[in-house]
Amino acid sequence: MKEILKITFALTVSCLIAAAVMGLTFTVTAKAKKHNEHMNVQETMQGLLGYGKNNPVPEDMTFHSVYRYIIEEGENKYLGYMVPVAEGSEEGYVLVLLDLGGNFVKKLDLTISPEAAQEEPEREAALKAVLDPSAHFTYGDTIVIAKRGEKRVAYLLPGEFPGFKTFIQVMLALDPQFTILGLEIMEHEEDPGLGGEIVQEYFKNQFRDKKFDKVKALKVVKVPLPEEYKKYLEKKKWKEGMFTEEQIQEIRKKYEDKDIYALTGATISSRSVTNGVKNMVKKFAYRVGKLEDALAKQHIQAAF
Amino acid sequence: MKHMKPFHWLAIVLVLGALTLSGCKTEHRFVKKTAFKDMDKIVITFAGPVDEAWATNTANYSVYEEPDPDIVLTPKEATLSPDRTKVTLTFPEALNTGEAHILSMTDILSEGKHLGPALLTVKKLYLGVLFTLLLGAALINNFVFTKYIGLCVFFGTSQKRSTAIGMGITFTIVIVFAAMMAWALYQFVLKPFQLTFLNIVVFIGLVSLSVQGVDTILRKVNPMLFKAFGVYLVLVIANCIAIAVPLMLADNEYNAWESLMLALGAGVGFLIALFLMACAREKLELANVPPTFKGLPIAFVTAGLFALAFLGFSGMSIY
Amino acid sequence: MAATTKSNKQLVLDGVLKENPIFRLALSMCPAVGISTSVMNGILLGIAVLFVQVFSSCTISIIRHYIHPRIRIPTYTLTIATWVTVIDLVLSAYFPVAYKAMGIFVKLIVAFAIITMRLEMFACKNTLEKSFWDGLGMGLGFMFGMVTLGFVRELLGSGTLLGHDILGFRPLLFFILPSAGFFVVGLMMGLFNWVDVVYSRRKEG
Repeated sequence: MKEILKITFALTVSCLIAAAVMGLTFTVTAKAKKHNEHMNVQETMQGLLGYGKNNPVPEDMTFHSVYRYIIEEGENKYLGYMVPVAEGSEEGYVLVLLDLGGNFVKKLDLTISPEAAQEEPEREAALKAVLDPSAHFTYGDTIVIAKRGEKRVAYLLPGEFPGFKTFIQVMLALDPQFTILGLEIMEHEEDPGLGGEIVQEYFKNQFRDKKFDKVKALKVVKVPLPEEYKKYLEKKKWKEGMFTEEQIQEIRKKYEDKDIYALTGATISSRSVTNGVKNMVKKFAYRVGKLEDALAKQHIQAAF
Repeated sequence: MKHMKPFHWLAIVLVLGALTLSGCKTEHRFVKKTAFKDMDKIVITFAGPVDEAWATNTANYSVYEEPDPDIVLTPKEATLSPDRTKVTLTFPEALNTGEAHILSMTDILSEGKHLGPALLTVKKLYLGVLFTLLLGAALINNFVFTKYIGLCVFFGTSQKRSTAIGMGITFTIVIVFAAMMAWALYQFVLKPFQLTFLNIVVFIGLVSLSVQGVDTILRKVNPMLFKAFGVYLVLVIANCIAIAVPLMLADNEYNAWESLMLALGAGVGFLIALFLMACAREKLELANVPPTFKGLPIAFVTAGLFALAFLGFSGMSIY
Repeated sequence: MAATTKSNKQLVLDGVLKENPIFRLALSMCPAVGISTSVMNGILLGIAVLFVQVFSSCTISIIRHYIHPRIRIPTYTLTIATWVTVIDLVLSAYFPVAYKAMGIFVKLIVAFAIITMRLEMFACKNTLEKSFWDGLGMGLGFMFGMVTLGFVRELLGSGTLLGHDILGFRPLLFFILPSAGFFVVGLMMGLFNWVDVVYSRRKEG
């Protein structure tokens, strides 16, 4: 009997010590993890707009996030946009409810700061406070709007779509006319050497400069990538004097209306990315139009 | 007769499970079935004939993906089958069949009678999704040949066919037990109390516990079986797959059925891999291999060939 | 095996070469096949394993007199799992990109036979100092194996090293394909065996 007690005691003590060590590490790292993840997203956004180490983000550049929720109240479904509004020097949020046809339903004031709004639990708490208790809401997606001074320069869209194996997470940058400024693959699980090549510049940069009309009907072609275009796409490998300014313009013009060249051995991955991007842009363009109409009609002064 | 009993129970459970899973939900009494067809079609089966003028008018139908209620997809064509009970909606672009689609119809007209509007959910058969998951874990994403997990035990026990089968079966039993316990513990304890950082410790503990449990039960219930399979039980703890499966189902937030399928698939996949490898290695014994390559090195090269073959399954989907 | 008589240097060297966990002991093969596609992956997972091995060895060595023999294995498992959780949390917080590349394999360190084996065979019988050096040797040995594999696969598969373009072209795309891990490990093992045979033959005269 004594033996069993001894064993139990020893096990309990070791479990407690282990739990303490893990708990401590968790509390220390949880904050850093959140911060680093946020920084990573921020850097990707800035990178897509062409800013980086050598080209810092200008002072007057601001980013504003709009969060889209689907809100169900009984039989009715609404789209709820959390829209940042300027209140004096502070930035606050309002919830704009639109019906499925995009018509304005109502506007509710939220008490949440832009920093707090980045966290999903905080947003949910703020929404719960203003919505009917019976209402049910689910998170849709986020739009980030980049503004320089008073001028809107870009939309940044985080998104996810099915790839060849599992999901592919991307970040897409569009200019105000919905021309693609850049595509970044955030996460994927495609086969290395095959579908994994979607992260390479010569694939993802093909989406650059595609106009909205082209994107709407974007396809994948199984044709080898022309050598000059490949060189042009691999921006990181550019050397001094490789392309003159005219050549760059010429190549860009030449390939602007071309479809996406498939990766060798990974047509399905190429197609998944192309279709995913196409759908993201199409849905976004439709929604942002409806939202802006509603905001303009209701004279809601959004921060973006 | 006595030892038939467990199988009876198993059969009953399986049939009940199949019934609850395939219970296709349609929210209108006149609509029998809705389903996706090809990539860009939805087929609606009615309980009786419907009026052609109503059925072929595309304006009577509107469809949206469940997460995007504001973006309406309009069919470009609606065709009625000769017996007037089946309508096929064709869409201009491929549908995302992975998502449930909500289909709403205006007042259904059947031989002059008004049957009221309908709001239906079109989705893949859940049983199909589960089957895909099972086959996915067993073949398409075989843990050994495409995820490279569990190799130590794989190379250790694939020398002889009998060993391979014994190990495979023992492993499958233990992994199903462990995974189901892990699923319950994760969903009802770890996640609600935000203790997910304890995942690793808890899951490895559960695996050891289920090994111990199967060991004790087998010893008491069937000593013959224990004699045959007991030696493999200890090896299960050292198998990375046993810990990878609980981690994966926690990551993907699978429900109970999906977890069961993943665990079963992982076990069967491991069994398949072991058996194939054992067959090849038994033949290798007879081959004239350079001395420095004897044993493990040549086994690795053989496994590489299997892995290449399994790459052919990659990205396949059944439903 | 009773308490060791080997010197510290000998312990480390043995871990790297004579008892190399990947090529000689053939333990913990999963990451060696799965994610040895680049040198960077090798280094990072190597560091993680090194950390877990050294800390677990030290922990067990310190408490070796207090472990009840009947709960020896559970104690080892608990120790390893704790340190794996710690490194998993730290890596995911501070090196998110690399952590994603390694995927599930960091968590799977918990099931590595090599670590439990070293605890059972060495750390529970030796002093803290010796256990530290032994753990270091094993960890370095694992890292050495992973980096070698990564070197071969990255250089031949994508013509780069640590992400820098070295060759400017891709000699054998095959080496970076997922299944090639098996071939490379098999060939390297054969190579190690061959070196061993030649070496011992020369010694005999």
